[in-house]
Amino acid sequence: MSMQIDTRLSEQIGSYLDLATAEIKLTAANMANIDTPGYRTVGLDFEAEMQGAMDSADAGRTPRQVRVRDVDGLISRPDGNNVSMDREGLNLAEAQLKFKVGVALLREENQTVMDAIHADK
Amino acid sequence: MNLFGTMETSGSAMQAERMRAEVVAANMANAETTRTASGGPYRRQHVVFAADRPNAGFLDSMSAAAGASGTATAGPLASAAFPTLILPGSGAVAPGVHIAQVVEDTSAPLERYDPGHPDAGPDGYVAYPDINPLTEMVDLMGATRAYGLNSSAVQAEKGMITSALEIAKS
Repeated sequence: MSMQIDTRLSEQIGSYLDLATAEIKLTAANMANIDTPGYRTVGLDFEAEMQGAMDSADAGRTPRQVRVRDVDGLISRPDGNNVSMDREGLNLAEAQLKFKVGVALLREENQTVMDAIHADK
Repeated sequence: MNLFGTMETSGSAMQAERMRAEVVAANMANAETTRTASGGPYRRQHVVFAADRPNAGFLDSMSAAAGASGTATAGPLASAAFPTLILPGSGAVAPGVHIAQVVEDTSAPLERYDPGHPDAGPDGYVAYPDINPLTEMVDLMGATRAYGLNSSAVQAEKGMITSALEIAKS
């Protein structure tokens, strides 16, 4: 029997954390360019990306690259910039919470493995 | 995915916003300056922000140095081990912001009648900089707000890095 420390769930939580990090990265880029003329807000479809990451993990493929897209439905300012401070602030808080949830779940998962290792004590 | 890179993004914005606030401060300080090194009254300055060019990171410089042909993402070093964020069109996400240039306002100076002033012209008018304290204060407020926004992004990133360190703790 082969040794398997990583569980399927912990890999999935790993993808979840990667996506939360990508989201933070995009939010930070948007926030940094809040005063850049002509800059357009970028974002990602979290649900679709998570689904894609889980599918490729199940199929044993390497995770695909995160697809970044322009965000529609935002109001452009006269200089062509459409970054919304409120949207970015909310996104930042949301991505932070997602990351915290992922970390908590991953710790729980690791604890299960640790318990198995120390089962004889 | 690198959280420290995210901090650099926010850091570049904080740097740029601070520079903007400095330029505003210089404008307000020189609101009454009639003598400059280039002659004539002080002219209002303002900054122009530009998004950092994507694909200018370490990996790309490295690929370029390694003699990779074509774009960096097609280079030998670009693999699944170095995932980058790719836009559907071309290029990646801007890794930050910088001040492209500081431009001088070209509007005509304000003429005020003050024949006793040493810099008064033959007609008795003195050229003062066209600086509106209201405009400057609004600009300063914008810079402060954007600075705060990016500093809260740094706080968030710090929190995430700290909590990522907790994963291994039992």
